[in-house]
Amino acid sequence: MVGPALRITEPGGSPSTHLRQEVMGTVVTFDIFDDAGVAPEAVRRHLELAHSILRDADRVFSTWRATSPISRLRRGELRLHEMPPSVRDVLASCMVARTLSGGWFDPWSMPGGIDPTGYVKGWATQRALDAIARSGVRSAMVNAAGDIASIGGLRDGAPFRIGIADPSSPQVLACVVQLRGAIATSGTYERGAHLVDPHTRRAATRVASGSVCGPDLGLADALATALCVGGDEVLDRIEGIDDYEALTIGFDGAITTTTRFPVLGG
Amino acid sequence: MKTSRVLLAATSAGFVAVLSMHAVGPSGRRSIASPTTSTTSPSTSPTTPTTFTNAARSAVGASEQFGYGTISVKVTVQGTHITAVSVANLQVLESFSQSLASQAVPLLTSEALAAQSASIQGVSGASYTSAGFAQSLQSALSQLGI
Repeated sequence: MVGPALRITEPGGSPSTHLRQEVMGTVVTFDIFDDAGVAPEAVRRHLELAHSILRDADRVFSTWRATSPISRLRRGELRLHEMPPSVRDVLASCMVARTLSGGWFDPWSMPGGIDPTGYVKGWATQRALDAIARSGVRSAMVNAAGDIASIGGLRDGAPFRIGIADPSSPQVLACVVQLRGAIATSGTYERGAHLVDPHTRRAATRVASGSVCGPDLGLADALATALCVGGDEVLDRIEGIDDYEALTIGFDGAITTTTRFPVLGG
Repeated sequence: MKTSRVLLAATSAGFVAVLSMHAVGPSGRRSIASPTTSTTSPSTSPTTPTTFTNAARSAVGASEQFGYGTISVKVTVQGTHITAVSVANLQVLESFSQSLASQAVPLLTSEALAAQSASIQGVSGASYTSAGFAQSLQSALSQLGI
């Protein structure tokens, strides 16, 4: 259940409602920056819905739970037509992401069987944000431990400012991004999960960290996974995808971006 | 599922990112050379408060499981403002290397510090340990009465 929302009165860049939940094995924060006068009870109902979307995604798609539908699909106990509709939706989107990434994101080439994990967290978080947006609030953000979906911006109309963590230095941001929409970051700390080179099927990354921003967090998440594994080749591909931009941080700390990546001061 | 809620005081001091970037653009790509970025991190001097003051106070949270080991977090506050977050103890299973865990942890501490800053609204980055981190941070803050 969603607990009582925390109220913070600071105006400007701080949210009017802040909520923190553990779900999908991580911490997810929900922030409403401008509720557009929507009744608190309505906002709360939609926050509950957002939370349940994340819980359901975890139940269906967790490869850690032996009894989840995706785990049973991986073991060959169930077939695709026996899966919940959401599995088919996700896998259809994964095929699009695979094509767009030039094969660098490929759930069908993971060790241990099909694994859409690199798309699912972003997809579920985007759907949670969409549920909150349907309440009528003007500006909101869902942050699933570093993968962020948002609508609107700051109260003065400016974009949100999001720091990108430096993968090598403590308590340091590599840069700040002016965000409208979504941003996902994959890094070497994720290597154990799904940063696998689909061509060799071995854990491998060409950069320390890869970030992708764009309108949809699911696709951004998948492309960020591909970016980390494929490096420059994937950066060049994202250059050609409308509305999506990319940034990489090399193991030497060098930052490279697509032409229109919205780095603050860049 | 156990719910952990961390309330971060909304004051604007304590987190400053200094950016020094240059855009160069061969073949559509931009390289941003040698980013110099830093955060202010006020010195920590643990004291035992007898009254509610602005003196720095520290507490170490309980050790929490995070799937690959255990983590405990040390937090330093002035009043209700978090001035520093660090990892007091981190033990990881053999399957999850210490170096990978130690990369994830700095991100989490910067996230905790950033969350109370008015200048940015979030941090994007990958992390494994966030749930255990948040629980330990919450228990440390509870010890301080925050």
